[in-house]
Amino acid sequence: MTLDTFIQTLFNGLAFGMVLFLVSAGLSIVMGIMGMTNLAHGALFMLGAYTGWTIAVQWKLSFWLGALAGGVIAGLAGLFIERVFLSRLYKQGNEQVLVTFGFVLVITNIVLWIWGGRFRMQFTDPWLRGTIEVGGIPFSKSRIAIVAIGLVLALLLWWIQDRTRIGAMVRAGMDDKEMTMGLGINLPVVSALVFFMAAFLAGFGGVIGSQLIGPNPGMGLDMLLLALIVTIVGGVGKVQGALLGGLLIGLIDSFGKALFPSIGLFTMYMAMVVILLVRPSGLLGRKLT
Amino acid sequence: MERAQTDVISSGVRPGLLHSRVLGYALGAIVVAGLLLVLPRFLPGFLQILMTKFLVFSIFAMGYNLVFGYGGMLSLGHGAFFGLGAYTVGLMSLHAQYNNIWVVVPMGVVVATIGAAILSFFFLRVSGVYYLLITFGFSQLLYALAWNIRWFNSSGMQGISNITLPASGVFGLRWTNLLFYYLVFIIFVLAYLVMSRIIDSPFGHAVVGTRESEHRMRTLGYNVWAFRYAAHVISGVFAGLAGALFAFNNSFVSPSHLGFDTSWLPMLMVIVGGIGTRVGPIVGAAIAIWLEYFFSLITPQRWPLFLGAFFIAVIMYFRGGIVVTLTRLWNRRRL
Repeated sequence: MTLDTFIQTLFNGLAFGMVLFLVSAGLSIVMGIMGMTNLAHGALFMLGAYTGWTIAVQWKLSFWLGALAGGVIAGLAGLFIERVFLSRLYKQGNEQVLVTFGFVLVITNIVLWIWGGRFRMQFTDPWLRGTIEVGGIPFSKSRIAIVAIGLVLALLLWWIQDRTRIGAMVRAGMDDKEMTMGLGINLPVVSALVFFMAAFLAGFGGVIGSQLIGPNPGMGLDMLLLALIVTIVGGVGKVQGALLGGLLIGLIDSFGKALFPSIGLFTMYMAMVVILLVRPSGLLGRKLT
Repeated sequence: MERAQTDVISSGVRPGLLHSRVLGYALGAIVVAGLLLVLPRFLPGFLQILMTKFLVFSIFAMGYNLVFGYGGMLSLGHGAFFGLGAYTVGLMSLHAQYNNIWVVVPMGVVVATIGAAILSFFFLRVSGVYYLLITFGFSQLLYALAWNIRWFNSSGMQGISNITLPASGVFGLRWTNLLFYYLVFIIFVLAYLVMSRIIDSPFGHAVVGTRESEHRMRTLGYNVWAFRYAAHVISGVFAGLAGALFAFNNSFVSPSHLGFDTSWLPMLMVIVGGIGTRVGPIVGAAIAIWLEYFFSLITPQRWPLFLGAFFIAVIMYFRGGIVVTLTRLWNRRRL
């Protein structure tokens, strides 16, 4: 592996890792505050990607509008799931997980119904086509944009988590639900808000990620599996955990594919299992009760 | 279902009514047994295979029910046990050209049991959200292994194809789909009886106890971990048996039979049929397998949509699944 390809692989891994971070951050925070795994997270990612595709490619509107719309549509779908279904299953972790699994089937099938089963091409903003050459190595502009967006959102989420009132409420809710509610904080509303944000990020990440992987029928499940791995590796309930996990898995994926093309998947699952056994709460996660 | 039954008895209903209820159950059992025994004889081959598939998944779901329904642990890793049984049969056929069913199916069960004994040790290191994640992780790890290592695949493809029944069968009969169905049926009945025994035994009650109140069980001196571990291994035996039989019935094993794609099936069946009931897994398997077939005749593309919506409706409105809901309706009508 020459230095050029090494830097390229590193950069590709970083960009993919940022997409993984966008999707996993929501999954991880929801897991932290609601104590349940939202299996429909990958399906929301897919819904967002296809919505963005319709706006940016089919209707030839702006890519960024597509990204926003993808986020909003996925966010609203998430809010619907939370308000109508999950909130009625208060404190029933298993049932909540199962409902979200039902929505995996429902959302994936509806997306297939609307958009069909064809693989779509990657798409991006016209400004982001092509590459920039730095020191003789070409870097794709869209990937640079992904890394920048990921970094900005990571900082924003980190700030919300650690420095704002709503972040404090969320952290308190993860530590002790009863006590938090006893302090007069309306935890169900906070949970709904977090769920909306998480679904928004999944949908938004779907469109942003469509610059790397074109919308396709299997993307929801693939991303769910990856996001679960990221959450396991990084740890549950923390933005910085999702960032670290996302980048790590993105790099493992990119280098795994470059160095050992035949066992790409395996390295990732191995990393996940090893971390679960050594540190069940992930690298940076909270210990959930 | 059990609770509904004892309600009737303890509420002091007229003995005649009770008698007719017992008669009703017996009649129902005879009709069902008749359907399962006689009907396949007159079905075309591919429906016989479908019937066998239903029985195989019933066995799988029965075992899963012990961990999920009675033990309260939502596992997404049972595909691994199922796949270990299936792959043992597949690999024997691929590398040794050996397909003596009386040898390879027990082998599959043994391999799956050993696999369950090892994996469950890791599964039970954690609980809650982490349990879900670790079961999922190991099952996907095996999936990735089977996908990536040549030795686990027929040449030029992912998975093992052409797993055939041996030419000679029992008592000089040739193995046909129908004969295989009857073999699986006998195994299915035995599995049901064994599982009933387990559920009724002190062990079964202790497993329920660990679900209901872990702390209380611990205070009473029970080794909670050991009961959970044993439940996992037993469900591994059932899953491995189902997997080994499935390999012959499907004549093809793919890496996805080890991973998430397979792990969610018994979970769905148990929920839909009736969680923590004896016949629930069987009813759930019947619904999942048969309804899919009938749906595929009308509109195969919309099947997952329907299944997902149905599944959500069961969780939201028909708590305890179809069996419990129907029993409750039936009791209300009769009393």
